[in-house]
Amino acid sequence: MKGLKAAVLALAATCASVGGAMAQQKLTMWSRSSSEAFMPALVKAFNASHKTQIDLQIVPNTEMVQKYAISAAGGSAPDLLSLDLVYTPAFAASGQLEDLTDLVKGFPFYESLSKAHLGAGTYDGRIYGTPMSADASVMLWNKRLFKQAGLDPEKGPTNWAEIEEYAGKVNAIGGDIRGFYFSGACGGCNAFTFMPLVWASGGEILVDGGKRATLNTPQMRDAAALYRGLVAKGYVPESARTDPGANFFGGFATDRIGMSPIGAFAIGNLVKNYPKVEFGVAFLPGKTGGKASFAGGDNFVVTAGRKNLPAVREFLTFVYSLEGQTMLAKLGSLPTRSDIAAEAVKSLDERYLVATEAMKIGRTPSSPVYNDIINSSTGPWKQMLNEIFFGNDVEGSLIKAEKTMQSIIDTSGK
Amino acid sequence: MIQGTPPQPHTPRRRGSRLRRKQLVGLLFVAPAVLLVLVFFLAPLCMAFWMSLHNWPLLGRPRFIGLANYEALMVDQRFWGAMRFTAYYTVIVTIAIFAVAFPLALFVERARPLTKLYRTAIFLPVVVGFGSASLLWSWLMNVDVGLFSPLAYRLGLTEKPVNLLATFDTTFWSIVVMVVWKTAGFNMIILLTGLQGISSEVQEAARMDGASGRQRFFRITLPLMRRTIALALILSVAGSVLAFDQFYIIADGGPQNSTVTAVYWIFSQSFVSFRLGYGAAMSMVLLAILVTISVVQLRLLRTPEGA
Repeated sequence: MKGLKAAVLALAATCASVGGAMAQQKLTMWSRSSSEAFMPALVKAFNASHKTQIDLQIVPNTEMVQKYAISAAGGSAPDLLSLDLVYTPAFAASGQLEDLTDLVKGFPFYESLSKAHLGAGTYDGRIYGTPMSADASVMLWNKRLFKQAGLDPEKGPTNWAEIEEYAGKVNAIGGDIRGFYFSGACGGCNAFTFMPLVWASGGEILVDGGKRATLNTPQMRDAAALYRGLVAKGYVPESARTDPGANFFGGFATDRIGMSPIGAFAIGNLVKNYPKVEFGVAFLPGKTGGKASFAGGDNFVVTAGRKNLPAVREFLTFVYSLEGQTMLAKLGSLPTRSDIAAEAVKSLDERYLVATEAMKIGRTPSSPVYNDIINSSTGPWKQMLNEIFFGNDVEGSLIKAEKTMQSIIDTSGK
Repeated sequence: MIQGTPPQPHTPRRRGSRLRRKQLVGLLFVAPAVLLVLVFFLAPLCMAFWMSLHNWPLLGRPRFIGLANYEALMVDQRFWGAMRFTAYYTVIVTIAIFAVAFPLALFVERARPLTKLYRTAIFLPVVVGFGSASLLWSWLMNVDVGLFSPLAYRLGLTEKPVNLLATFDTTFWSIVVMVVWKTAGFNMIILLTGLQGISSEVQEAARMDGASGRQRFFRITLPLMRRTIALALILSVAGSVLAFDQFYIIADGGPQNSTVTAVYWIFSQSFVSFRLGYGAAMSMVLLAILVTISVVQLRLLRTPEGA
């Protein structure tokens, strides 16, 4: 009898261990649709060379958070998620994510992982999100129009005075050629491209670990004055005023815009789909020089309570390998490991080198209410931008937006 | 020979059981409708009320907070600002729709050549969804590649292409025009059924008594159409109070958040700020306001006819 009992226990233990191994080998993962160019290929390459298999599902950008929330409430959330990095603090604060601190810090190349991603992925001193894909904001200029305007086609702007000067000269070409383009009614786009102008000039948007908003600063007023000047002088197309981001890329791709602050994603897109557009890539400059960039992209996160960290380590090791980083770079994401970034992009268009440098200095504001204060179409950031670019009371708008933003931060979670 | 027995008077007991059976059959007939209302209206309504008593984030666990959401919305300037804008829009657009739909109904009521074509053409925009119509108009209103501004510029009506979405007034009135274009046909059909329900004999008798066209319209047509007008107005007001798509798609709440409606703000708080409990509380308040408006409208427009 004792023998039978032992046999049954042994069989049960074997079944459990096999079951555990099976569960470890098959993981579900969601990624947003903007990563469709590289995530399926990356996962396919991983699956082809590993025992652990990942079942990837692409989810529309705008539905990701709601879909995940509903699935998490119903207990059917995916094991892994490639999540817009700005949402990481909100997800971590709500207890949805697994603590990856030990795993991430265990990588020998930990210090080379994108600081901006890790910053956004850290909540209460613990790491919940680690870099998956990346994009950095840069300035594009149109070489053909620069040449036509009598400017050096190989030299992009390095400070705001040059932005204004170059925009004016390109604008002077006439017709429907304009010197500068930005999406004036898009909070997210301008967080990506306008914030770095402030940062590069020494200003901040959020301080004290995202707990204090600082909008009414000299640097912000100066940056607003730059854009207001460009608008007032007619260097910016009228449609930019009400562009909610639909033409964030399309504006420059028309080949009729002198300069446009945009994401590095545009490099591959222009090369592939708009080969006639001759363009250069520069850093987003500060008022008198310097450079800054907004680090965007996705963080890799794991749903809390999933016992699959060995498989997660396996996947991340592949993603952070030279093979994984090169594959990401070739398919549209910037590398997230700075120590091998240059090597990962060496076979690509040389303009990617500027973007990878921008990624190294890239920053991401971290706040659990980021969506509320920055991305929301009814939020204080978007309203403020539209007012300070096109309205009459810059100071009043900045004070009002700072107050509203602070109030949202202070009442968050209450 | 007696062919059959005469009908026996029903005893009270038998009558009662037949009545109960009739009631049961009646209940069975309405059961599907009752079930639909229970599942798709009452249950979600109760759930929304329950949510409104919680701090219910999109992510994470809900926490019971009693009436705190309701207290918060009482001092939420953005919510009341959105409510004021919604009220303003509702008044303007309801009047505009009625002002266009009633003459159209009078126009297509009379039998004349091409009447059916007119009716179809005017009704056609109704079958387009609000989302699709908003997308279409956001293109028509685009300052660079749209129709209105470039056309006005090329015809020499404006000095340069005008960005219709750049100011509150141009945005608001453009959307009002779009909504009238989109919904006037529906109201026209409702009002047309009312007009066709008025007996021609009544009109004829009034004419024989020497009533002028104006007198017949104000003394006969309008009073006899109270019920129909009430229906058209209630539908129009309810639709306008719940306006969302057109302001979200065409204007994105802009310029500078000046066209954020009540539903837009509820959507934003619920699914952008992830405050489902607060969004539910605002929905309950909006529902209460909408029910009150509809009751008042019904009373104002029904009493004289019902008396």
